[in-house]
Amino acid sequence: MITERGFVVVFAGVLLLTSGFAFSNYYLTVLGVYLIVGLVVTLPLFATTANISGIEVDRNVDKVKVFSGDFLRIRVTIRNKSRRHFDFIEVWDRYPETWILAIGENFMASRIEPGSSITFSYILQAKNRGRYYLGPTEVVMRDRLGLHYYTRTLEAETEILVYPTWKDVRRMESLGKQRQLGLMFGAHRTRVVGMGTDFAGFRAYTPGDAFRKIDWKTSAKRGNLMVKQYEMEKNVQIVCMIDTSGSMGNGYPDNTKLEYAIRAAVLLTYMGLERKDLIGTCVFSDIVHSYIRPSLKPNHMYDVLEALAMAEPTGWSDYENAVSHVIEKTRKRTLFIFLTDLEESPAPLLNAMKTVVANGHRAQVISPFGPWFEAPVGQFGPVEKVLAEAVSEELWERRKKIARALARFGIEVVNVGPEDFLPTIIRQYNLAKQRGVALF
Amino acid sequence: MKAVTWVLRVLSFVMFLIMAYTVYSFLSGYWDWDAPYIFIVTVFRLLSFVVFFVAVLIVNGLAAIFTGGQSLNSLLSGLYNTLILRMWYLQPYAISNPVTDVNEVFISFVGNVISMAFQVYESAFTFLYFLFAALGIAFFLQSLVRMEHKYVGGAFLSIQAILIVAAFRELSFYENLVFETDFILFVTSPLQILVLVSFAYLEISYQMIYSDSVGKPVEEREDTLKKQLLALRTATRKQDAIERGEAVSHSAMSRTTGATAFSFLREAIERKVVGSKSALENLDAVSDVRRLQIFVDELLDGDPNAKNELTARAAAPSKGYVVLSTVMGSAIRFLAVIALSFLLMSPNIFVQLLSLPPGIENSVELLQPEIVLLFLVPTTLTFVFLAMIISWITKREEAIRLSGEEEKTLKEKSEGEIKRKREEAAKARRAREKARKKGREDGEDEWDRALEETYKR
Repeated sequence: MITERGFVVVFAGVLLLTSGFAFSNYYLTVLGVYLIVGLVVTLPLFATTANISGIEVDRNVDKVKVFSGDFLRIRVTIRNKSRRHFDFIEVWDRYPETWILAIGENFMASRIEPGSSITFSYILQAKNRGRYYLGPTEVVMRDRLGLHYYTRTLEAETEILVYPTWKDVRRMESLGKQRQLGLMFGAHRTRVVGMGTDFAGFRAYTPGDAFRKIDWKTSAKRGNLMVKQYEMEKNVQIVCMIDTSGSMGNGYPDNTKLEYAIRAAVLLTYMGLERKDLIGTCVFSDIVHSYIRPSLKPNHMYDVLEALAMAEPTGWSDYENAVSHVIEKTRKRTLFIFLTDLEESPAPLLNAMKTVVANGHRAQVISPFGPWFEAPVGQFGPVEKVLAEAVSEELWERRKKIARALARFGIEVVNVGPEDFLPTIIRQYNLAKQRGVALF
Repeated sequence: MKAVTWVLRVLSFVMFLIMAYTVYSFLSGYWDWDAPYIFIVTVFRLLSFVVFFVAVLIVNGLAAIFTGGQSLNSLLSGLYNTLILRMWYLQPYAISNPVTDVNEVFISFVGNVISMAFQVYESAFTFLYFLFAALGIAFFLQSLVRMEHKYVGGAFLSIQAILIVAAFRELSFYENLVFETDFILFVTSPLQILVLVSFAYLEISYQMIYSDSVGKPVEEREDTLKKQLLALRTATRKQDAIERGEAVSHSAMSRTTGATAFSFLREAIERKVVGSKSALENLDAVSDVRRLQIFVDELLDGDPNAKNELTARAAAPSKGYVVLSTVMGSAIRFLAVIALSFLLMSPNIFVQLLSLPPGIENSVELLQPEIVLLFLVPTTLTFVFLAMIISWITKREEAIRLSGEEEKTLKEKSEGEIKRKREEAAKARRAREKARKKGREDGEDEWDRALEETYKR
């Protein structure tokens, strides 16, 4: 391939050549011939040397699974395995558009000798959860005068799985450290007085109490027989049901209902694991995409993160199918926390809830209200504003009906917006702990 | 690489000097140093003459409306002498003193215009020689500093343009230039020497740019990294200062060299994170900058090669290889071009080889420059064709990632899984529907009743 510069030389050659003809001028003719011949004479040689099969590109990343917002070093090594040198080689290593190049450059240009290699690295910030690919790598080879070039794309791609952001957990931890948990982050333990090892207090002796539980010192002080009380911690089992139907993905990329639901699920799982509660996660739409059973395994958090990282807003919500799937695999009493926008027809939802309750489980719905997540009303014109309000009202009425229907089964529906989504899930979790819902 | 570039720079300078001097000596006798001045003055006079004529015509035409057809000769002369002549020195052609009668300018108007136009044409060629020479020198000096191909090309074409322009004048020196049939005479003829020097200038200048550009990315990369790290460090310190409640100064340097050094930090600044008190409100962005700093610190501490890899220092080419390949490459190209050009421009060799019919062999066309085309076009295209064939043969798509089959299998597996899940879900739905129908036949349960009651309201 001839470069733009090469074409300039061609045109200059043709200009001189034709000028030579026009004025019967040998000098201009010779110069034209030189330029044209000079351009093409090395073309076959360049075509022979610029054989990409001699070039090997390796890409190494420090880790293939990262959290959204984390930094990642990418090392690219270019090896010349051929016996030829490449006068000028440019290497562009592509990365996902949404990611940010934090340090260094994803580009390198140099000369590469036979058998030698070039290594360069750069640091990226991974943005937005999901599965991404680094690459392909574009290699451009030029001759030293920049008159010819060859471009090849090496389809070497490295898969990177980006987990949902961990910033909410970090923030919670940071606030916890500063003792600024406030109303949001009260860690309430579910206590069952009776069996256990943790001392809870004293009470008066009643016939039937074991003699060994009598605390003689306290009894002597108070003049009545007193027994020691111990408390036993009970934990809850929760399954977080994340609706990934198409409607959950409406809105700005980082501001969708699904993204908030996923952040909420991460936070819930983390808090649960910290407090030794069993938290499972089910990602569903019209099918169950993944179900991570409630567990305390060391890798449980990563299993959940992986399932959440893959979630994509597609299809519709089949609550019944999801509930059947989970109930089939769940024996203990469980609290189902549905994170859904309730934009499907209500009958299947109610049927699903019926199944949940009928199987002795408990449920509650934390529902992101669509209009609060999508385009802000402030950006609308008067007509759009009226329409948006009308749609909002309609949706609100609809969800009130659903909430009423669910309330009859003892299922609470909490409507949330972007600001209160995370605090709500924490509050609901703490309430469940306090009330001792779904203890095991 | 800088030493190699400097050597090539000196060579390029020498070649340019030789090329320019050869062109100058070719046109010796035609370099009239007064020509630029004469050209400019004549153009100026021609313009002033035309302006004067048009102005007088317009003013007289307008005045005629009010004065009943009389011209304002004295008024015009006075105004012209006072305003135009004194202030701008816009003297009409063929008038040396102040204008007394406007009509005297028009007496020999046509003759004067022709005379001036002819003078412009005469001096234009010499003026263009100087103009192109000045342009050539300017481009050449730029090329030494900026190391860009366009300046080299500009310098080359500007100097050659002098000879192109000279060709219009059919100067005598061109008459002696013909294609030589003897190779030694061909190479040593003045024409060839000029062509070779011009070609050598292009070749060496391009090599100079190559030598500069092949080492530059590594240097630039190192420079960029330094700026980025400095900017990052500054940003983190500022955050620390803000957190401690200290006053933060905004230096011009931090904004120009540091802050704009890389997009990541620039974005942080746009979000008003770095360097302002409200920054602390934006915890995410502050945290991003700080985490990046920690990440970079850990990386540089933990991996001794990390910095070299970020700067790609090892990618800098060795001087020896570059020098050797420069000399070899240039020599091959030079010899090939000379040999090929000689063959193309000496039809006798081909005439003998091809044993052309006498009609063509003795034709006058064989003595014309156009004969070059007869061999140039097929030869040139042969090279292009050869390159295409080689490229086609050697073109291999590298598929370093998963091979096609493996990838296909994974994709199919994933699709198959989803399909299976869908089928299962559909089956379960059908089963539920069936059970529900059966339930309705047996009698409505309390849940359905509750539902209906809810929706009746």
